[in-house]
Amino acid sequence: MPSTLEKIRVLGANSKYDICASTASSRTDKYPKLFGDSKNWIGATASAGICHSYTPDGRCMSLFKTLYTNKCIYNCKYCFTNNCKHRMSFTPEEYARTFMKLYSMNVVEGVFISSGVCGSADETTEEMLEVVRLLRFKYNFGGYVHFKCLPGVSKYLLKEAITLSDRISINSEASTKDHLAEIAEQKDYYNDIITRQRWLKQIRIRHNDETLKILKDLKQDNQLRYQENMIKGRREDGYKKFRWDGAPILNSGQTTQFVVGAAESESDYDLLKRIDWGYKEIDLRRAYFSSFIPIEGTPLAGKQAASLAREHRLYQSDWLLRIYHYKLKDLKDVLTEEGNLPEGDPKVHLAREYFKDRSPVNPNQAPYKELLRVPGIGPISAKRIINLRAKKFLFKRRQDLKSVGVVLKRADPFLLINGQKQSTLSDFTNLNNSTILQSEI
Amino acid sequence: MRKISNNRDPLEINGRAKGYSREELALNLPRHSKYSPALMQHIKKLPEVVLRNSGTSLAKKINRMMREVFTEAYRAKQYARTEINSRGVLFGVVQLKHRVIDLVLNYFHERWPQCVICLYNEHTHKTLLIDEKGIIREINSPLKKVVETVSKNRPLIPYFDDIQFSGEEIFETLYKSQFITERENQPYFKKMIPDQCFKLPGMRNGVEKRFRNRDLNEFL
Repeated sequence: MPSTLEKIRVLGANSKYDICASTASSRTDKYPKLFGDSKNWIGATASAGICHSYTPDGRCMSLFKTLYTNKCIYNCKYCFTNNCKHRMSFTPEEYARTFMKLYSMNVVEGVFISSGVCGSADETTEEMLEVVRLLRFKYNFGGYVHFKCLPGVSKYLLKEAITLSDRISINSEASTKDHLAEIAEQKDYYNDIITRQRWLKQIRIRHNDETLKILKDLKQDNQLRYQENMIKGRREDGYKKFRWDGAPILNSGQTTQFVVGAAESESDYDLLKRIDWGYKEIDLRRAYFSSFIPIEGTPLAGKQAASLAREHRLYQSDWLLRIYHYKLKDLKDVLTEEGNLPEGDPKVHLAREYFKDRSPVNPNQAPYKELLRVPGIGPISAKRIINLRAKKFLFKRRQDLKSVGVVLKRADPFLLINGQKQSTLSDFTNLNNSTILQSEI
Repeated sequence: MRKISNNRDPLEINGRAKGYSREELALNLPRHSKYSPALMQHIKKLPEVVLRNSGTSLAKKINRMMREVFTEAYRAKQYARTEINSRGVLFGVVQLKHRVIDLVLNYFHERWPQCVICLYNEHTHKTLLIDEKGIIREINSPLKKVVETVSKNRPLIPYFDDIQFSGEEIFETLYKSQFITERENQPYFKKMIPDQCFKLPGMRNGVEKRFRNRDLNEFL
């Protein structure tokens, strides 16, 4: 029987390719608390999370992230399970105790529980849920729990997982059915993954509707009335605008993860199309990309690792879709013939394309959406510019823009400040060619 | 476009654009170790636009002081390493130059509302504790003695008793297990945990320092 330390060593290493944010919880004092206001609950969440440690690759290590078991019935080509020599499982009690110890040491911020599929998805999920139940109801842990949903799990288990967790994720691994079949042939793309993602959305919305009804009954409290209006308002404004719909359950929504570069023919466009669908259809909060790294002993051991730059470009593009609300068809314009993102910041490529036939942006006149097109201007600085204009402030100097957080180094070529714009190399080439010719003649 | 005038302070309406509001300064500047009441008197006389303009030397000084205060509080929340005993007393050591210990204590109090939290400040050589009601007290005694005294009158709490084992090795094992060799990026790591953070009590000779982060001096 392996010791707890041995289990953490092996199962922790097995889970290191799973990606998650530090906590990403939207639970704050403003919103209803997951388990009420009792002082018996231990643990809290900070809105942006607190990172208690970083590994030598610079990644934040804030969650207790290990697999529950590395026994797995699937045989995914990229996965460690192909060559895993030490098969082991935690017991629910052991997992919960170990986590609580680490939480008391202030070295972790929450728990990320994932697992191989041992026996069946339901059997393993049942044991994983037992861990969360122990955490919540034996140790009174009210902090952050990220629950990994296994492919093919039953709906009744998902329902319980949702009520106990802050975030649930289902690994998509690939963007389409064919690409998934290429790297994990045993998984059914539609049934095991897409259906479960749709269920998560349905269960959450239904639960939130029920919560609204309860809140209506408790109208006497001003704070509750405020919460009710808030939930309603956010619903009406649409999910695209407000990702968080005020739900007292699953505050951090559902996420997914892709293995980038494992499937041979999978392009960046395939992945972007899939996450764009996720944002529109299943209330996906965000997507994670994990560059493929070959593991010895697996069928893909000889395959070249995917570049980290590609992963970075995908995150940048995801940001454009999610935060800047760019359309997928805009991104399509800058893709290479193979459907991949070109080298360099996608926003700069998009801006070059966009401003090819348009004049530079005048910060004193441009609408919000136009400002967002300029590299170096993000949603916050664009809002500040709009706010200042509303207060009759005129941007006359570059310094004025710098003071509201615009990155001038990137924004300059696309801006018209006080009637002047920065010249680019192409301006000189076009102009100089004709001048030189004239002078020679 | 209608004519717009430039005679208003643009930064007073977008608070986070640069600098801090007068209220924020009044609340947090006194936390700085080098704060003097004369500085606050001087600040009160100045218009907000001057305070917020990072071009002036005074604004630079104020921004630096505020940044030092907030950074110290955040680092303490990140890197304070604590222990809990079976009586529900959570204790640890911090090194706080500025007066931010109440922020740190409240952070732990929010997480462990039914525990008494004792933090020993190495800088002032004092122990501060916050009880279940959120009342903060300062005691001029070593941490060990304070923890013993507080624990005496408290009942044994089963689920804290359940986690009375050493966690140092567990954390070290977990930390090592999460590292992906192919992604090693020491400059990024140094950026995320700057050298000065390794001087904090919870980080001295901690796991992060021991694992793959040795410098040449350690081998000479």
